[in-house]
Amino acid sequence: MASNIGHITQVIGSTFDVEFSEDSLPAIYNAVHVKVDKGDEQVTLTGEVQQHLGSGRVRCVALGSTDGLVRGRACEDTGAPVTVPVGPETVGRVFNLLGEPIDGRGPVKAKQRMPIHRDAPPLADLSTKTEIFETGIKVIDLLTPFVRGGKAGLFGGAGLGKTVIIQELIARIASAHGGYSVFAGVGERTREGNDLWLELQEAAIGQTGKHVIDQTCMVFGQMNEPPGARLRVALSALTMAEYFRDQSGMDVLLFVDNIFRFSQAGSEVSALLGRMPSAVGYQPTLASEMGALQERITSTDKGAITSVQAVYVPADDPTDPAPATAFGQLDAFVYLERAISEKGIYPAVDPLASSSRVLDPQYVGEEHYTCARRVQSTLQRYRELQDIIAILGVDELAEADKLVVHRARRMERFLSQPFLVAEAFTGKKGEITPLKETIRSFNEIADGKWDHLPESAFMYVGTIEQAAEQAERMASEAKKK
Amino acid sequence: MAKTKTLNKRRKSIRSIRKITRTMELISTACYRRAMDRAVNARAFTERLTRMVRNLAVSGAEVSHPLLTAHAEEKNVTLLVLSSNRGLCGGYNGSILRVAYQRWKELLSGEKVANPALVVSGKRGISYFRFRKVQPSQTYTQFEDKPTFDEVDQIAQEYLEMYLTGKLDRLEIVYTKFFSMSKQAVVHETLLPLTEIGSGDDGASQEVKGIAEYDFLPSAESILSEVVPQSFKAKLFKCFLDAAVSEQIARMVAMKAATENADSMIQTLTMAVNRSRQSQITGELTELIGGVEALK
Repeated sequence: MASNIGHITQVIGSTFDVEFSEDSLPAIYNAVHVKVDKGDEQVTLTGEVQQHLGSGRVRCVALGSTDGLVRGRACEDTGAPVTVPVGPETVGRVFNLLGEPIDGRGPVKAKQRMPIHRDAPPLADLSTKTEIFETGIKVIDLLTPFVRGGKAGLFGGAGLGKTVIIQELIARIASAHGGYSVFAGVGERTREGNDLWLELQEAAIGQTGKHVIDQTCMVFGQMNEPPGARLRVALSALTMAEYFRDQSGMDVLLFVDNIFRFSQAGSEVSALLGRMPSAVGYQPTLASEMGALQERITSTDKGAITSVQAVYVPADDPTDPAPATAFGQLDAFVYLERAISEKGIYPAVDPLASSSRVLDPQYVGEEHYTCARRVQSTLQRYRELQDIIAILGVDELAEADKLVVHRARRMERFLSQPFLVAEAFTGKKGEITPLKETIRSFNEIADGKWDHLPESAFMYVGTIEQAAEQAERMASEAKKK
Repeated sequence: MAKTKTLNKRRKSIRSIRKITRTMELISTACYRRAMDRAVNARAFTERLTRMVRNLAVSGAEVSHPLLTAHAEEKNVTLLVLSSNRGLCGGYNGSILRVAYQRWKELLSGEKVANPALVVSGKRGISYFRFRKVQPSQTYTQFEDKPTFDEVDQIAQEYLEMYLTGKLDRLEIVYTKFFSMSKQAVVHETLLPLTEIGSGDDGASQEVKGIAEYDFLPSAESILSEVVPQSFKAKLFKCFLDAAVSEQIARMVAMKAATENADSMIQTLTMAVNRSRQSQITGELTELIGGVEALK
């Protein structure tokens, strides 16, 4: 069949219209290729058909820069959606959303390519088991336990450390994890992507002599890319992860930083396509776009995808439609709070706003559940009292409340933890605290066993014994002075 | 938007707290004047009385009175703690009770004292000790802003009898002493035996120089037996008055600070409410305009 060629009739920002003959219109989501002059060389721009406008015209979203595009250019319909290479050949490599390697290590000789638009697995195939996924981070394991094969979201405003937590989780989980990992960089800083890439090349997996990068493939569509690219990069990464799940049957880790950029790109595209904006200026299709993506990130009886997604919260307002639609899709919900990061407590997880579907005695066990609830109720009471303390001072509180405040302030600090990836900044070795130790430590604080230690001793330690050690060290240092 | 509503609710609750603290500030300002007058007047009386006893002691040479001599063995020690009935007075109760609790633990751990007893005045102190599982042997709640001499007299009489009959070997008191408008401090004193009357204290020492000649009629003993118990009662009464005026001052200062804190909090909250309301309006307007544009 002769290739189906059309001509560009209009270019608006990163969308363009192409006129084909009426009887050979490309289907919705088909990829189209245009040759564009860039200086002396010609590059191929890929577009994705989004709308049929009538009389042979289709409106496409460009998945690359539209610089140098002119009306009248020939535009070829590829007859299929964008495809990306999948399979074991992709690990250790870095791709853009079109599946082209961008790490400068030559072409990828993958045997198979798969379209990035697919349906979510059918209802009957979904996996139903629930297993806790230990991370060694106290606040996450205790209050928002992750689910193996489930989805966890890290919500937070600008500069609260979402990316650091994602990187920490990669360092902790991926280095202990035997299966494949996929990282999707969606609309975040290119520098961070580069840092991560270099770090994964150095990080070793256990004692196997392999590096994390040998089990990981990365897909980037960062801030500098046009909205079309940022809108589709998550799908490209997901397609690669799906292949590992369905073919190898292994547990796959999927990290996405940052899913909000996906909604944001969708909103930009939506405006260019001329759809009427909905609440807070987002696209009217916000929920369905998010749903289509999230429903594919799921575990089936063939294999599991455990995903951790960072979600930017614009203006620290969690009621904003973009984070709110992502919220409903997740099993574990970690909310980072500015007020906590201002106290210098990292990870700045809000222990009261964060939650997890599996924080239930049925899944985590009675002991874990009671401990988590105790910590939360203590901190809740402390928060209620905060206004009164601010006005009247701590002396006016009833005796029982004073004790609650005393312990809550210690718990709050004890929720901080030194990170593996932050060793260079904090000068403290990262701590991996087993869940059992975490529960024991918090129970002892709640029981009042450690009331005598100064508050600052609880900052950035692993188990409670380390807090005691730190208190001793601080006391001896104070004596020296 | 939900945020505006919660902010408004918080601002409202802080406004009502402010109302309370402001009222308490005004009330304590009024009460403190009267309490201070009483304390100052009582101070003059107590000092005069103490000086007289001291002068008598110095001039009378072989003066002795059971209340002036310490018991050989101090088995029964009573710790009297003066706290307040009502809160909203900042660190007033906290600092008294910290000192008192410290002393109480010393008494319990000390080997010499076989029978320490704790007497607490004021609901705040009672609940403080109850929370720490300490059962006071006796509690008073009748002392408010204006302790009367009759009430104190009753208690003083009991202690005197207990001391004289040997049921009590030492009486200690923890309260807030009133020095001036700007200085009050928690003190821990020994009231019985009245030892410090013999030594020099209370700013009366400079007057001891010129020793007055006294003629005792009918005898030195009969006068001392009248004056020494009276001096103890006056001293105890003075403690209660000092505690009352210190409480009012503490409340006045604490409430003033609290009102100011509430004011600044209301201010920041008002700003936040306005900002969030305005951003909501702006958001709705831009959406509306955007919608209209899109429909064109």
